[in-house]
Amino acid sequence: MRITIKPLLFRLLRRVPMPLIAIGVGLTAGLAVWLVLDQIQSRQVGKIFGQELEAQLELRARESLVRFERYLASYSATTRLLANSQRLSEYLEPLFWSRDQTFEPLIYREFRPHWLPDFFARDALLGPSHVLLTDPWGQVREIFQSSDARLPAALATQVPESLYSERTSRALIERVDGRLYLIASDATADAAGYAMGYLLVLVPIDEAFLAASQRGVDVGRAAVALIDASDQEILVSINAEALPSGTRLERWRSTYVITSQPLLEQEGSGSDVRFATFVSQAVVEKMSRHVRLFERRQRGIAALVFILVFTAVIYLVSVRLNKVLRRMTRFSTRALGFAEPGFNRGGNQLVLLEEWIQHFTQLVLAAREEMSRRHQAEMRQSEALKAAMMEASLDAVVTLDQRGRVIEFNPAAEHLLGLRREAALGRVFTEQCVPEAARGRFRHLLDRSQHAHRVSEGRGELVARHSSGAEVPVELSIVPIDLESERVHTLYIHDITERKRAEQEIKGLARFASESPSPILRVTAAGVLVYANSASRTLLVVWGCAPGEPLPAPWRERVVSALASGEQHEEELEAGGQLYSLLFAPIADLGYVNIYARDITAVRRAEQEARQHQAELVHVCRLSTLGEVATGMAHELNQPLSAIVNYANGCIRRLQSGAGEPEALIGALNQVSLQARRASDIIRHLRALVGKQPPVRAQVDLNHLAREVCSFIEFDTHRLDLQIALDLGPDAIPVLVDLVQLEQVVLNLLRNALDALEEVAPERRRLVLRTAVLEGEARVSVEDSGPGIPAERLPTLFDAFVTTKEGGMGMGLAISQTIVENHEGRIWAESTPGCGSIFHIALPLAASAQTTEAPS
Amino acid sequence: MNHSETTVFVVDDDQAMRTSLQWLIESTGMSVETYASADDFLAHYVPGRAGCLLLDVRMPGMSGLDLQGYLARENYRVPVIIITGHGDVAMAVKAMKAGAADFIEKPFDDEDLLRSIRNALAFDARQRASREACAEVAVRLAELTPREHEVMAMVTEGRANKEIAAALGVSAKTVEAHRARVMEKMRAGSLAELVRMALLAERELSAD
Repeated sequence: MRITIKPLLFRLLRRVPMPLIAIGVGLTAGLAVWLVLDQIQSRQVGKIFGQELEAQLELRARESLVRFERYLASYSATTRLLANSQRLSEYLEPLFWSRDQTFEPLIYREFRPHWLPDFFARDALLGPSHVLLTDPWGQVREIFQSSDARLPAALATQVPESLYSERTSRALIERVDGRLYLIASDATADAAGYAMGYLLVLVPIDEAFLAASQRGVDVGRAAVALIDASDQEILVSINAEALPSGTRLERWRSTYVITSQPLLEQEGSGSDVRFATFVSQAVVEKMSRHVRLFERRQRGIAALVFILVFTAVIYLVSVRLNKVLRRMTRFSTRALGFAEPGFNRGGNQLVLLEEWIQHFTQLVLAAREEMSRRHQAEMRQSEALKAAMMEASLDAVVTLDQRGRVIEFNPAAEHLLGLRREAALGRVFTEQCVPEAARGRFRHLLDRSQHAHRVSEGRGELVARHSSGAEVPVELSIVPIDLESERVHTLYIHDITERKRAEQEIKGLARFASESPSPILRVTAAGVLVYANSASRTLLVVWGCAPGEPLPAPWRERVVSALASGEQHEEELEAGGQLYSLLFAPIADLGYVNIYARDITAVRRAEQEARQHQAELVHVCRLSTLGEVATGMAHELNQPLSAIVNYANGCIRRLQSGAGEPEALIGALNQVSLQARRASDIIRHLRALVGKQPPVRAQVDLNHLAREVCSFIEFDTHRLDLQIALDLGPDAIPVLVDLVQLEQVVLNLLRNALDALEEVAPERRRLVLRTAVLEGEARVSVEDSGPGIPAERLPTLFDAFVTTKEGGMGMGLAISQTIVENHEGRIWAESTPGCGSIFHIALPLAASAQTTEAPS
Repeated sequence: MNHSETTVFVVDDDQAMRTSLQWLIESTGMSVETYASADDFLAHYVPGRAGCLLLDVRMPGMSGLDLQGYLARENYRVPVIIITGHGDVAMAVKAMKAGAADFIEKPFDDEDLLRSIRNALAFDARQRASREACAEVAVRLAELTPREHEVMAMVTEGRANKEIAAALGVSAKTVEAHRARVMEKMRAGSLAELVRMALLAERELSAD
């Protein structure tokens, strides 16, 4: 049953809106409270009320008793006052009572004796019926009687001892002669303090006494009475009519609630009198009913309030819930993306809320899982990124824990500090990688990095130590990272060796201008000098200006023209005996002209000297060449001379010995003359070579030049058993040259060729000297069949001091080139190793030749 | 000195020089043969002919120095006089180092030349005589028995007969007999003559 009922109920609950349920529940609860509590509570309340009433009655009874006893005590006090009053003691002064003396008590009836002032009235007490004065033995001596009532017989002459006491005053309730009296007693004394006996005050206890004892307290509800405990009888009541004395208590118990209490200070009394309080049952009942009614009304109000509050609270809650649901609906659609959360359909909001929360919880769980997955993925990604950054970082990145030990070390750090990551981890960074001198600085940086808000504080330059011991200048940035458990520091270390060097280099470069031994100046477009280095002093003295002043007018114009043209140009200036070359370099966009001056005095001098040296060298070279030629000639000259000497000596010896036959001697002498002619030929050639030395250019026929040169080295060629093949142009080839110099060149080439030919077999020796006009140029070429020139030597062939000859200076070709170039010509070589070489000289044709050649 | 047996060989490429030298030297009665080149000379020269060689340093083809070197290698012991031109001292020094007998500079004094030639010829004659003596000694030495060789070696070292006897384990009388036979075979008149022969033989051995 429950299985089917529960979903049914649930479905039902879902349909009903909250306020209706609230009202229903409130009503039900209120009703239940009403029905259940009324039964239990009424009974309980009755019981409590009974107890309460009893306690009330008890209290009231006690109050009545207290009032009664206090009333009795007042009498006792007044009695003591009277017994010790001055009047009484004065009155008793003259009296003397003896025991044996017979006497008649003195009775005052009509008036009040002098020793008895009316203290009772003063104290609003009922007046006593009798006042007795007794002697110390209890015999009554004097009696005051306020009314006609007679003194009870029991007390007429002798007062029983129980009624007084020598030590204390007493107030006792006694039944005397069937009537109840309050008998208060106290000892009396005369003025001299002699004990005279006792004063006794008798007050009858009746209706009036009781009423007076209660002093007007409403007795309508409760009555008081004195009862005899042993007889269970009323002795006297406050209301004699309602409760007549002598009636038994049993009779009143049905109509009254009776409370009996013993009276205090009545130990001495012979009668068993108790104080009783009577409360009418009707009054009690009425009160009880009243209380119950009131209580029931209150319960009703409580139930009503309960229903109202309950309903209101639930209603308010449901309203709030509605709002919450609406918000959640919006939230679901917007934030969580529920298409249709379904909160708008009404019904029980709590159930909806529960469903939603269930749904929401699932969603949140799913979302959390998703987030956690994404977070992990992000973490992995971030880790991978971080690792990649660490790996790829060009800067060394090192992370230190709180104690300065390495916990992370990237490859750049490995490279920079020369330390493997495995070796670095766990080591104290400063000990490992910071030289002792720099550790203080490092700690300082570390301390400064603690001020997180001052980002740049943890930065600085430092010297790190490579594991090899080398010191590396680095820039260091320390970033503190607060982890959960501790603070770690990440160091970014940048190798600034290069930068330092670059800085130094830039500094060095900046010094170029000032250190330059040549003057460097800067002039504005207006011609005002703005910078001059120290080397410029001479120039400034000549110009008579200083930085900040304008240049002299002609130089200002050059500055302006340099800026206008935008191109560099050079000027020369003689200053202080020195020759300067000034390079004007305009910087158009800045409006400046930089002037770079060079002292070219020495250069000029050197140029001049070089020219001179070159001329000298050419001369020396020519002499050298001529010397060689001359040596050859001298050797040749030796031959005929020696032959002549030999013939002559031979003739002499023959003539001396007489063995000389005339025919033989004539033949020898003929030989002598022949050889002498030969020698004279040689000398003629030599003079031809050495004699022509005019150092001026003149128009010369190249063919003539070639023939002449050939004649100079005839002897050499003869020695080599060689004939120079002359292949000359058909017409004269006029060139404007220094004949001697050009002869030197050709001679040099021929001698080189002869040297080369010495190295090959005689039958292979061939030497050709050619002249021609080619492409508007005069050409001379020397071709030999020597071993040729290796290809790698061709490019340096014309350099000075390049030689293959033993004892050669290596100047021949270099000088030849100089000479040819001085004549605006060219010289070059071709060679096939193993087959020979050709040296070419090209020269410009003389102007007249060109004109004369034109018609032909 | 027998002039007819000795010849002065002149090698020079210059014909005038050749004939003029021949004319001059022949004036003293010496016989002269002239050659235009080294190859020409070698083609006609018979080794062992007495005389001296007059050699021009500068020649086309085989130069004077080349020829001198060739002769030295072939052990032709003909004395060489080098004729050099003016200033060819370096070449002359080279020639002297290679064993030339003398060098003479053109143009030369006839007396100097002739003296130099005579000296060279005298040297050649001595050399020949010495070579002949050596050959003679070698022939005689070949006749000695081995024991006589030993005895001769010891005697020429200056040892006494008794010393030699003790060293060879023979009696002094036997040594005496050997010694007499050595003197006889070597045809040495005295001990000093024998020692000279021994030295000559030694020099010849070391020279070869």
